[in-house]
Amino acid sequence: MKPSLAAALTVLRKELTDALRDRRTLMTVLVSSVLLGPLALLGVSGLVASLESRAELREVYVAGLANAPTLQNFLERQTYTVKAPPGDYEAKLRKSEFLDPVVVVADDFETALARGDAPVVEIVSDSANQRSEAATARIERLLNGFSRERAVLNLAMRGVAVQVLEPMRVEERDLANQQTRATRITGMIPYFVMMAVLYGALTAALDTTAGERERGSLEPLLMNPTERWALVVGKWGAVACVSMLIAVLSSFSFLPGQWVLRSDTLAAMFQYGPREALLFLAVLLPFAAALSAVLMAVAIRCKTFKEAQASSTIVILATSLLPLVNIFNLGSQSPWHLWVPALAQNTLMTWVLKGEDFKLAQVLIPLGVCIALTLGGVWFVARMLRQAALK
Amino acid sequence: MIEVSGVARSFVAAAPAQRGRFGFAGKRAAARVIHAVRDVSFSAPGGHITGLLGPNGAGKTTTLRMLAGLITPEAGRLSVDGIDVVERPREVLARMGVLSDSRGLYPRLTARENIIYYGALQGMARDAADARAQDLARMFDMTALLDRRTEGFSQGERMKTALARALVHDPANIVLDEPTNGLDVLATRALRDSLRWLRTPAGGGKCIVFSTHIMQEVERLCDSVVVVAEGRTVARGTVAELLERTGQRDFEEAFVRLAFPSAAAVVPA
Repeated sequence: MKPSLAAALTVLRKELTDALRDRRTLMTVLVSSVLLGPLALLGVSGLVASLESRAELREVYVAGLANAPTLQNFLERQTYTVKAPPGDYEAKLRKSEFLDPVVVVADDFETALARGDAPVVEIVSDSANQRSEAATARIERLLNGFSRERAVLNLAMRGVAVQVLEPMRVEERDLANQQTRATRITGMIPYFVMMAVLYGALTAALDTTAGERERGSLEPLLMNPTERWALVVGKWGAVACVSMLIAVLSSFSFLPGQWVLRSDTLAAMFQYGPREALLFLAVLLPFAAALSAVLMAVAIRCKTFKEAQASSTIVILATSLLPLVNIFNLGSQSPWHLWVPALAQNTLMTWVLKGEDFKLAQVLIPLGVCIALTLGGVWFVARMLRQAALK
Repeated sequence: MIEVSGVARSFVAAAPAQRGRFGFAGKRAAARVIHAVRDVSFSAPGGHITGLLGPNGAGKTTTLRMLAGLITPEAGRLSVDGIDVVERPREVLARMGVLSDSRGLYPRLTARENIIYYGALQGMARDAADARAQDLARMFDMTALLDRRTEGFSQGERMKTALARALVHDPANIVLDEPTNGLDVLATRALRDSLRWLRTPAGGGKCIVFSTHIMQEVERLCDSVVVVAEGRTVARGTVAELLERTGQRDFEEAFVRLAFPSAAAVVPA
C-alpha cells in the first residue's frame, strides 16, 4: 500500500510542476475566469449607480415648458428641477448621447387643460437606449401624479369626495428580503465561479491524458512498476488541485470586488463576506474533483489533445447550460435539481447568496453525486490506461 | 536473463461495416483476426547482446510489449530473471529497463527532471535518482543537456534522455525497441558504444535485448541473433552461425533467405 501511495504522490508532484510551468495557459485561465466575475460585478454596479444618481438628481426634461406653467408648477412642487432638453434631443437619444427621456408638451396645453380637453403629453425615449428606458417609468409615474391631482381638485371643487375617485387603495408589500432582491443582480456570480473551475480543470485534465498519449509518453510511463490506479489517482489529484486553486481564487476574488462597488444600495444588498466565500468553496471543491475526473475520463479515449478538446465540449456544454435552468427559472426549485451536477452547485450557491438556510441533506446529495462521479471517472481512466497506451 | 518461449498473441481488427439496403449500416463482416505473434521463442543471457531481427510487422514490438506486461500473451511464457511476467509484472518491471517504440518526454520538464521522475516511480530516493541521472548523463555524453527543458531537443538528444530514463534504476535487463530509429550516424555510434560498455563486467554485465530491422546493426553489435518473420522465430544463433547455415557470405542475403524463404527462391543467389 505504502509504495503505491508514494508513487501517487510522485505523479501528483510531477503533474503539478508540469501544469504550473504552462504559464501561458495558466495566465489565460486566471485572467479570463478569475477576473471576469468581479469585473462584470463592477460593470453592473456602475450601471446601477448611474441610474441611482439620475434618480437622486430629480431632474426632468420638458420641451415646450413655456406652454405649461401648471405642469411646471406641479413638477417644482415635487422638488424636481425642470430643464429644457437640447434642440436635437431625438437624434441624441437614438445615438445614446442623451440619456434622459423628454416630456413634450403641445402648444395649446394650457388652454386645452382649462377646457377639459385632455391634452396629449408625450414621453420621448428610445427603447434601445436602456438608460432612458429605465427613467421612463419614473417620469410616467410623475405625470400620472399630475393627472390625479388635477382630477381630485376638479372633483373637490364640485363637492365630490376623493374616495369616489379611488374606491380602492393599492399598497405593495414585498416579501423578498434585501439579500433575495440582490440575487437578481448577483445571480450570475455562481455561474462565473463554476466556469472558472471548469476552465481551470480543462487544460490539465486533457494534458495528463490525451496529451500524454499524443506525446507518446504514456507507454513508457506504464513500463514502471507502479500500480495503474496510483498513476491515475496522482494525475487526478494534480488536475483537481489546479481546479481547486482556481475555485479558491475565484471565490475570494469577489471579496475585494465588492469593496469597489460604486452603488451604495447594491453594496448594502450584496452580502458576500468570508462566510459566503467559504460556503462557496464547500460546494465547489467536490465539484472541482468530480469535474476533473469526468474530463479525464472523456479525454483518455482521445488520441490527441485536439480530439479531446472536441470531445470535452459536451462536458463544457452541460456545465454551462444546466445552471441556466435556475437562471431562467424554468419551473420552480424541484428536489431533482440537487441530483444534477452543475445545477445542484448553482442552486446551493444561489441559496448562499440569498442568505437562505438549507438542510444538511441538501448538501449531502450533491456531495454524494460528486464523489460517485470522481470514483467512476478515476476507475474508468485506470481501466482504459493500458489500452490507451497501445493505440 | 530473459526467456521467452512459444508466445502467441492475436488481435481482432474491426471490420468495416457494409452498407445495408437503404444506406443504413448493414451486417458487419466477420471481424478479422490478425496473428501478430504466432510462436516466438528466445533466451537472452546476461552480459550478452541479443538482437531481435525481423522485417516490419514481424511481431517484434508486440513481443517486447508482452515482455513489459503491456499485452497479455495468449500462449507461451515470458520470464525475466526467472520471474513470470504475467504473474508478477511489477517485479519484472523493477528488474528491466525498457526503451519502447514510443519514447515521449515531458517538454516542460528538464532532462534531469524527466529522469528523476522515473527514478521516483521505480521507488528510488530523490538524491539517489539525481546522482544516477548525473552518472548516466556522463555515460551518454549529455551532461550539458541535463538542466535544459526537453522542449526543442533533437532526435538524438531525445533518445539519450529516454534511454537514461529507462536505465535510471540500474536494471539488470535492458530491452530496446528499434533504438536507432531517427538517429544520425554519430548518435548511432555513440549508442552502440554505450551498449557494448553496458555488456562488459565494468558496465554491469547487462542482459540486452534489442529489436531492429537493420542488418548492419546486428552484424556490428550482437552476440546472437533471433530472426523473426510473420510472428515466428525462424532462426537463432550468432551471425557466423546463420551465415554458415544459409551458405551465404552476405548477412543481408542470409537474412532474406531465413525471413522470406519464398522470395529468396525466386531471386537467384
